[in-house]
Amino acid sequence: MLDDTKLLAGLRQRDPQAFTQFFDANVDRVYRLALGMLGQRADAEEVVQATFLSAFEAIGRFEPHAQLSTWLYRIAYNHALMLLRRRHPEEPLPDDSESLPLPATLVDWSTLPEDQLLSEEVHETLFAAISSLPERLRAAFVLRDIETLSTAECAHVQGISESACKVRLHRARLLLRERLSQYFREQVAEEAL
Amino acid sequence: MTCEELVHYLSAYIDHELDAELSRDAQEHLATCQRCQVVLNTTQRLILLGHDQRRYVVSGALRENLYRRIEQSLYHKPAGQG
Ligand SMILES: [Zn+2]
Repeated sequence: MLDDTKLLAGLRQRDPQAFTQFFDANVDRVYRLALGMLGQRADAEEVVQATFLSAFEAIGRFEPHAQLSTWLYRIAYNHALMLLRRRHPEEPLPDDSESLPLPATLVDWSTLPEDQLLSEEVHETLFAAISSLPERLRAAFVLRDIETLSTAECAHVQGISESACKVRLHRARLLLRERLSQYFREQVAEEAL
Repeated sequence: MTCEELVHYLSAYIDHELDAELSRDAQEHLATCQRCQVVLNTTQRLILLGHDQRRYVVSGALRENLYRRIEQSLYHKPAGQG
């Protein structure tokens, strides 16, 4: 394993060992962000490829005091946005100040057993729900609540203010809570029998 | 605090970003409002479910395939482009 300094130097010299390590450490993060934003596996793969290639081209301009992973998320976010624009050029920008409806589905699925919550089906349901959110809300949830970036990092990746990031995250959580509550409602009813 | 206000402040409450007074108001509301308590529980569980998604990694054949495609573009560009 190369330490961060050696890794960066290696990437700049196009050292294959550095590339392998960089790819392995980051491919999952880039893929999850792209999948959350785009919803389609083939699109997520395209973004992964474009992201690593752009990163290698731009590595000479990377500021060593910044974090490589956050820098890479930002490149991935921008590639995913470009692909979204290509897929849906018409999507209007929603108004962040619009008021949200009050939560409507009020079953408490939070105490369902772990194995019911950690299934492949729940994973797919959650990612399908994320990728059907309004476009601007998707990355906020992935970056903060899946990738556990700080609000400052999340804002930096998206090129928005921290307060805008918090608003988007809040809206994303409420909408996803609603979708998942609908999904889990039947299972809670079965538990109660 | 009303239900509307509780929902408005929910993320800030969960992320410990409310000041002491608002946080106390939220706790008082939650103690007496079953609906908002459910909204809090399920939102917190949603966030944990989010954290759990980091278990999902690009696996096997796809990982290899992506690696090869990127490596190919980086190191084996066709003549005239490198
Ligand atoms: Zn309430």
